[in-house]
Amino acid sequence: MKKKQIAITLGIMCFVLTMCIAIQIRTVTNSNSTASQSFIDNGLRDEVLRWKEKYDNAYQELLASEKQLTQIREQATQNNTTANAKQEQIKKNNMLLGTVEVKGAGLEITLADNNAAGKGLIDPSGVLVHYNDLLQVVNALNNAGAEAISINGQRVITTTAITCEGNVIKVNGEKVSSPFAIKAIGSQGLLLGSMTMAGGYLDEIDDWVIVNVKTVDDIIIEKYNGIISYKYVKSK
Amino acid sequence: MKKEKKNQIVMTVIIGVVCVVFFAVMFMQFKTVEETDITAIENMRETELRTAISEWKGKYDDTQKKLEANRKSVKEYQETIAKNGEASELVDKDLAESNMLLGKTDVVGEGVVVTLSNTPECSVTYAHLLELVNELRYAGAEAISINDARILTTTEITQVESRMQAGGQRIASPYVIKAIGNQTYLSSTLSLKDSGFIDRYKASELDITLEKGNNIKILKYNGDLKVKYMEEVEK
Repeated sequence: MKKKQIAITLGIMCFVLTMCIAIQIRTVTNSNSTASQSFIDNGLRDEVLRWKEKYDNAYQELLASEKQLTQIREQATQNNTTANAKQEQIKKNNMLLGTVEVKGAGLEITLADNNAAGKGLIDPSGVLVHYNDLLQVVNALNNAGAEAISINGQRVITTTAITCEGNVIKVNGEKVSSPFAIKAIGSQGLLLGSMTMAGGYLDEIDDWVIVNVKTVDDIIIEKYNGIISYKYVKSK
Repeated sequence: MKKEKKNQIVMTVIIGVVCVVFFAVMFMQFKTVEETDITAIENMRETELRTAISEWKGKYDDTQKKLEANRKSVKEYQETIAKNGEASELVDKDLAESNMLLGKTDVVGEGVVVTLSNTPECSVTYAHLLELVNELRYAGAEAISINDARILTTTEITQVESRMQAGGQRIASPYVIKAIGNQTYLSSTLSLKDSGFIDRYKASELDITLEKGNNIKILKYNGDLKVKYMEEVEK
């Protein structure tokens, strides 16, 4: 009688254990397919790199061809005054469009998160620089007649959006982070005067974040790192 | 009696060993399953990777297109020089293209028209317009105007009390903001639930309407773009 009981107990235990193992094996079989998925992922990663490299190479070639085009345009128009003036206008347009690197006198503004003041706070977002601050500063600089502006090396052009995704700020789709170095070329007096004006935007946020403004006589502002090509706009 | 006891011991030992083996196998299995959880997370990135690929691909295609156009232009210039001909036609074409990109020409295209108007509860401020322009740019707008004042890179939107200006041009409610770009993308970005411009400011009782259009006309920039302080860095 006792033997029978033991046998039954053992039988049940064996059955349960076998079941467990069977389930596990099935799970693992499934996850084998995820393992091959990660092979696909690696393949995709390689592909991302390949396309990036292809783009980088094409972009370098494009830069060279832009330069060649500018030179040959100059060469072709050197004997014709009106054509030459137009050629100069194109070069001027390129500066305004942001497709060439420019230099000049101007202002450098640094905005940084005030981490020291944020330490004891439950919600430190008040002492951080937000995308909206950058938007306001760019607008204020434009109001003071800035000719070219960049934020952490990202040239501000007509299609530039300053956005916030989670806690990441992006300019031209590229991540930028504190400290933000905002460079602007223009009349130093006007820029400095309007940016440091009492009641101005920087004066308002000065209490919360770190603000530093200085004039620089020889600022270099990077070119826009991409190409401006319109797909929907048509000339009339 | 003795034989029976021996048998029992052997049985117990065998069962014990089998149990140990079972448990060992189970633990091994558990470990494998834990590891595969990590690959499952990596799995989630697959869509991200695919988006990244299509982004780079798009950028590459654009670059390649521009490169071909440039090479064609260079060739045309070379031919003109070789023939001792007039380059003015070519320069005219290049200048027209450049002026178009800059916003010095009237343009048409598909896009959206957003109308913002003051309500007794809430007035439109320059900050609203800045946000909206920024959001339109994010959605890929290629040309933008507010009440026919063209918005360029250097255009400021200012407000002194209730007086508003865009690029030095006086503007007033209702504000009609036109944008040319991918219609679907522009309108869906603005109407994103909760985070889109319309949802964000409808709550504060601004009057906002959004219309799509296939033939939106945006006027050229009505001023003189001066270059006084900057010069090109020649390399």
